Amino acid sequence: MRAFEYTSPKTVADAVAMLSSEGAVALAGGTDLLSLMKDGAASPSRLVNLKGIRDLEGAHRTDDGFRIGATTRLASLEENPTIRESYPAVAQAVAGVGSRQVVNMRTVGGDLCQRPRCWYFRSGFGLVPMHEGRSMAKIGDNRYHAIFGNSGDAAFVNTSSLAPPLIALGAMVTVSGPDGERSMALEDLYRTPASSDESEFTLAAGEIVTAVTLPTASAQSATYDVRNRKGFDWPLVSASVAVSGGSARVVLGQVAPTPWISTAAGAALAGGLSEESAAAAGNAAAEGASPLSGNAYKVQLTRVAVKRAAMAAMEG
Amino acid sequence: MAIRTQTIGDPVRRREDPRLVTGQALYTADIPLSGALHLALVRSPYPHADVVGIEADDAAAMPGVRGVFTGADILPTLKAPFPVASSPSGGAFEGLQLPGSGPIADRRVRMVGDPVVAVVAETPQQAADAAAAVWVDYRDRPGAGDCRAALADGAEAIYDAVPGNRAFRWDLPANREPDPAPVVVAQDFRIQRLIPMAMEPRTVAARPDGDRITLWTSTQSAHRVRSSVAKILGVARERIRCVAPEVGGGFGAKANLYPEEVLVPWLTLRFGAPVRWAATRTEDFQTTSHGRNLFARLEVRADESGRVRHADLAMQFDCGAWFSRPGPTTPSLTGTMIVGPYDIATAAARAEGAFTTTAPNEPYRGSGRPEATYLIERMLDILAGRLGLDPVEIRRRNLIPGHRFPYRTATGLTYDSGEYERALDLALEAGDYAGLRVEQARRRAGGGKPLGIGVACYVEICGFGPWEAGGVTVEPDGSVTVRSGTSPHGQGHETAWAQIAGEQLGVDPARVSVLHGDTDECPRGIGTFGSRSAPVGGAAVFTNAETVREQAKRLAASLLEAAPEDIRFAEGRFFVAGSRARAVGWTELAAYAASEESPDDAGDALTSDTDFRPPSETFPFGAHLCAVEIEPETGEPRILRYISVDDCGRVINPLLAEGQVHGGLAQGISQALFENAAYDADGTFLTGSLLEYAIPRADMLPAYELRRTVTPTPINPLGAKGIGEAATIGSTPAVVNAVVDALRPWGVEHLDTPLTPEKIWRAMNESQAQGEESESD
Repeated sequence: MRAFEYTSPKTVADAVAMLSSEGAVALAGGTDLLSLMKDGAASPSRLVNLKGIRDLEGAHRTDDGFRIGATTRLASLEENPTIRESYPAVAQAVAGVGSRQVVNMRTVGGDLCQRPRCWYFRSGFGLVPMHEGRSMAKIGDNRYHAIFGNSGDAAFVNTSSLAPPLIALGAMVTVSGPDGERSMALEDLYRTPASSDESEFTLAAGEIVTAVTLPTASAQSATYDVRNRKGFDWPLVSASVAVSGGSARVVLGQVAPTPWISTAAGAALAGGLSEESAAAAGNAAAEGASPLSGNAYKVQLTRVAVKRAAMAAMEG
Repeated sequence: MAIRTQTIGDPVRRREDPRLVTGQALYTADIPLSGALHLALVRSPYPHADVVGIEADDAAAMPGVRGVFTGADILPTLKAPFPVASSPSGGAFEGLQLPGSGPIADRRVRMVGDPVVAVVAETPQQAADAAAAVWVDYRDRPGAGDCRAALADGAEAIYDAVPGNRAFRWDLPANREPDPAPVVVAQDFRIQRLIPMAMEPRTVAARPDGDRITLWTSTQSAHRVRSSVAKILGVARERIRCVAPEVGGGFGAKANLYPEEVLVPWLTLRFGAPVRWAATRTEDFQTTSHGRNLFARLEVRADESGRVRHADLAMQFDCGAWFSRPGPTTPSLTGTMIVGPYDIATAAARAEGAFTTTAPNEPYRGSGRPEATYLIERMLDILAGRLGLDPVEIRRRNLIPGHRFPYRTATGLTYDSGEYERALDLALEAGDYAGLRVEQARRRAGGGKPLGIGVACYVEICGFGPWEAGGVTVEPDGSVTVRSGTSPHGQGHETAWAQIAGEQLGVDPARVSVLHGDTDECPRGIGTFGSRSAPVGGAAVFTNAETVREQAKRLAASLLEAAPEDIRFAEGRFFVAGSRARAVGWTELAAYAASEESPDDAGDALTSDTDFRPPSETFPFGAHLCAVEIEPETGEPRILRYISVDDCGRVINPLLAEGQVHGGLAQGISQALFENAAYDADGTFLTGSLLEYAIPRADMLPAYELRRTVTPTPINPLGAKGIGEAATIGSTPAVVNAVVDALRPWGVEHLDTPLTPEKIWRAMNESQAQGEESESD
């Protein structure tokens, strides 16, 4: 690990200013960043600790929904009665993380900005690793890589635990940067980079996530993830389902470079939750998958995860 | 108060546990060493490369750094090669290559994690920072991630002296021309590489003590480390005191000598100051020996009734970048144990070993016997399937019957004692085998999750000699001291040896102290591996305590003014036959021995320290039964029942024996379902952390149902056979047989381990899956 400068601002404005310099990186729970630094996959010259900014922490009801500050820890989210009762897909996503140490430390903003677990990326080959003009993930071992959204060279998967349920529930994300504050649909935070020079986030230089807001709950929702070892593995596939009135949203995690909204699966559930519509949604979610040489199993797990998430939402 | 004189066989709670669970125990990292320096090693990130240049001036100038050393500084001063491998005894090894890599790189690295530069500083953090500042220039060479790649034509030589990379050949020709048999079945097997994963990473510390060195190390064999280090450093053995303090697990991987056990005392001599090194988990992953890791092809010939007449085994064994003495014995054990508990008339086996650019592949819990058992037990199920026989029935037709012992195997071993079918019957009864088959038929006919039932019988070899120490002394206050040549890394020797000495001497085990793992306190010993502690080390305690008791009779005769032949012993007291009222105990005898009235040899009468030399090995056995259910949507296997019947001869302490079985089952089941240490084709290590390497958690394992039969061995007077490895050996094939049994409707005959959900799901969804697995895991 290389030497770095450590700063701990008290306001968002100060944090944004400190992050504007080259090589500065935001630090919250540290569950991802510190392992990247230890592995040599990140070597920031300055860490800007966000945990000293009081405004960023805490989750509470608002007039038109529910606001979650960026440095709110997963553990406090899990314990929040509103989350448990009104947004079960979020609570179930946290429960799936399993490792108490991670749940206690990881923040909501950190989870949304979790870097890929792709082993080529973690070994220092970059976000879109290339070998003699070809995508390393496509020619190499890709059992955990993308089965959707992989038509370009990027084949890593987005591994945020919270993005699928939050997007399914229609969350907005607020970001602050040198040009002030802006809000957008959470799915618009993510993009698929064409090369390792590009980011997987739409954040501008110096911008940080400050909060997520959920609309007032009216949906039945659930999350289901499939892991090799429950407790401390990353999921192989996760699925979040939210059904409200005559519409439904199905969002997959771990299958594409971004959280993956399956409109076909959503359509299959729009008429209501039943055993039949759950199975149909599972099959619909797997349609159009483009598995790589070693990850066809994830297509099957997509079917299973969506079906089980829909069943869980129905059983509420 | 009546003294309990029968303590062997009691479920005595472990005396070790209070200090372990309260954090009072001292591991090597905890030994207080004032003014200790700290070693950090710069290690190769490449599997195979030349070291072209080392730039360490910046590191040497960093705060607290006391020295930076390379192979050029260290290697010329060593007096014997490292590793200290020598030709293993008792096998037909041909062309054994011992190129000797040295404890630190000599301008060449041969695996990820090979030490290149030693950095010594005043704190561990300073040493780590300075190590990170050393710049090493490597010139990459092609590597070999497994033995087939290393043995392929044109493969890069890993040692210049060993073109072709063949480390040895081993051959066990057929005992005679095999009889003709009409049914021939062969299968290729790939047994994956495993990481033993002790909870305590390897740690070494040393301190100068006058003209001696005290060396602490997390080892299974303090005596062997002392001898090897003395030879390599060129100092007299007596000048080294080697201590294995609390050791947090070993599983075979701490039984051999490691580079750091040479480097730390070398640096201690150099600086005249204490030095410590503690492996990070990453270093432990990369450099502590791995195990299993075998390519094998087994062919059996049988008649139509399922009687197996001949077994032929061909193996390719991956040695890793170097091996220590025990390395090549692993495939030879697999070869000699390939007939398992079955009466097979003829057998032949051969192996070739290859150097690869990976971590050393050495004995791991069971060493060779898990492989042999897995191979023959899988093969019997395949054969049963081909012949339309029940897996239990084919075993019954082949098991060695109880009246045939001692039984001479086709491979030249002599099995000591056994009631193999009794163990099988007990497992079937405990698991309701017939009921499980009914349920399986019901599900196959009427739907429901696929259910599989697996049975595995095993026999293993343990209690290796040639000798072990276990001295017993009655102290002047009447307490007892045992000096054990074997030392624990979690087994509970202190509790068990106190029970043995206590029973033999009629003394409360609480009055027995057990010393171990210190070459000063216990001057002779070999160590703990191969399930040898109870049958060899425990037998030594047993016989020495008996000798003390008999010698004490002469002392009692003198004190009681009677003839020695008239002295009787009961409940810890000596008396003249017919006058029990005038009995004397150990306290009076010890006081008498120390007094001036006692005979001249009185002191010697209360101590005995004769090594136990077993005439041959012991052969524990058992039968395991596993019922498994498959989740069809995901291929996830779930173990519904697990019955383990283990016969380790006489049991010293059932709690300790059950603990060994529990741990063994966890590791054996995990081999079947979860664990796989992966290198890529060149030898880049892919599973170097606990995130990538799937050690099991409690919630991934079933509730075990343990049963026991007791068939004592005649090989030692204690009657104990050894239990350390047994459950690891029986469990992998039981689980795999169960999963494959569940997949029979899909035409599956074999799948290589680990049986991941993906592999199982593919077998159910890709037609004609007949065991030809890709290398996808």
